[in-house]
Amino acid sequence: MKRLFIPASSVLMIFALVTVLHATSVGSEKITVMNPAITSTMVDRVPLTNRLDSLDGKTLYMVDIGWGGPDAAYSVFEEMRAWFSENMPNVKTVLKRKQGPYSADDPELWKEIKEKGDAALIGISG
Amino acid sequence: MSQHCKTLEHDYQIPTVGAAAANIVKYAMGYNFLYTNGMPIRYVGFPFPVAGQPKSVHRQYIEGNDEVSGKPMMTAIMDALTQPPTEEEKYAGPPPEAAPEPRLLNPDTADNLQRLFKEKDWTDYNPIILPTEERVAEMLTGTNRKPDDVIKEITWPGGKRLFTVEKAAVCAVMAGAKKEYLPLILALATQVPFGNSTSSMANMILVNGPIRNELGMNDGGNAMGPHNEVNAVIGRVFTLMSKTAGNLHHGKTTFSSLGSNLQYNNLCIAENEEALPEGWDPFHVQMGFKPSDSVVTVGTGWTYISSVGEVQTAYPAHFLMRDYMRSLSGMRGGTVLMDPTVAALLKDEQGFKTKVMLSEWLADNVEKTVASFWGNGVVSTFFTSMAYQGLEPYAGYLKMPGDKLIKPMTARGIQIIAVGGGIQTTWFVTDFGLGRGVLVDEWR
Repeated sequence: MKRLFIPASSVLMIFALVTVLHATSVGSEKITVMNPAITSTMVDRVPLTNRLDSLDGKTLYMVDIGWGGPDAAYSVFEEMRAWFSENMPNVKTVLKRKQGPYSADDPELWKEIKEKGDAALIGISG
Repeated sequence: MSQHCKTLEHDYQIPTVGAAAANIVKYAMGYNFLYTNGMPIRYVGFPFPVAGQPKSVHRQYIEGNDEVSGKPMMTAIMDALTQPPTEEEKYAGPPPEAAPEPRLLNPDTADNLQRLFKEKDWTDYNPIILPTEERVAEMLTGTNRKPDDVIKEITWPGGKRLFTVEKAAVCAVMAGAKKEYLPLILALATQVPFGNSTSSMANMILVNGPIRNELGMNDGGNAMGPHNEVNAVIGRVFTLMSKTAGNLHHGKTTFSSLGSNLQYNNLCIAENEEALPEGWDPFHVQMGFKPSDSVVTVGTGWTYISSVGEVQTAYPAHFLMRDYMRSLSGMRGGTVLMDPTVAALLKDEQGFKTKVMLSEWLADNVEKTVASFWGNGVVSTFFTSMAYQGLEPYAGYLKMPGDKLIKPMTARGIQIIAVGGGIQTTWFVTDFGLGRGVLVDEWR
């Protein structure tokens, strides 16, 4: 009976081929994993109110919410007021500081704006 | 700010324009609009930053262009108040984009999933353990809680999200936790998302009670370094939970200017209770828990300053602590982390028989000028409005000359924690604020 002789180099090649095929199959195997993200509920849309025909002859309230402190951005409003005074003197500007922390409601001020104003600019975050 | 605009538009029918730095506008018109506000508020955007810039820069902003529309700034403001609403701006009702997150992700290779988790910003950019259903199920055997038990409803930074035990277990797997860690992780999950702000805030996790030794946390030598699996994993999982369940993503919902490297591990430590001097209670006992309770406490802050070396007899530790605490923000207190050998010195050599005595001494001796107090932006943002309302001590501080010395900290706001291995008489003073913690035992 003839003995089957396989050279050692061939054994090594076969072993290497099997190893590569196995690694390829492991690397390409698809798995299913769980999603760490959570559905975040969106809020219902609320429409904008109607706009003014123009600012001419109107009163614009400029409200500083105090982000960064009382002096952090107040001069931006002062510069805006100066710009209106110079370029659109028919626009009356009222500069106000909102009461409380920047995120707190200020219904008294909102009522004043409703009674005495026509439009508002609120800021300045950042 | 967006809420104020919405209130004026919706409740008072006043046309309003919001003004902010461009990065804040991006958040306001994106995430905040979709998940919190719902009104397509018109904004103008300034270059960042606005706060703290000189008047000359503010004038340039007014004379420059709006970063939202590209128009000259004042034209953009007038247009926002006068141009009629578009059809989209008139829409009322449910959001058309709403889509639920699936429980399972689409099947893919491990490499692609690792890549996906990074692309979604669900990781800290170190490799994670992929949360297969089998791994998460095994993790859930670490608690008697049901997978769909709701830990909390998260509403910050907008959009309601139900954070369940299963979702926390997913993050625990991702971070490399063992199932035995899960009760501590679930207690920690009640504090998600971590404190985060443009001021580059960080967080501190403090663990007290038997759970420290049950899990093998390090509260001795190198406790604050990368030398213990539990400390490392618990700190990491808080970040992963805050990014996934907390939905905190750079440029979308977080805008920290510098960020904080502490957010990788959140200063996760355990108190070395066994090494406390007699009369010095563990932190959780000070907060009203029993010594046998296991408690995790989360605080927020920014800064820690090291003693840089051992205590000198010529200038006792509490003197140097006082000096260094003067440079903290003045947010009413902070936390001192000290090696137990420092605690022993303060008690035996300086007569501080309790932690409270040391807190009281520091509150009474940490002074700073009024100008320095108001010179901090976060302090000024939060306390100026209280001062305007006549609330003391802030109303009084506002009337004082800038060089007047004040004592802004309170004893209740200063916490003392012993951590470390007795290798050197070293300590840190920090501005982290710690309050009452969460009972881990309720999550076993």
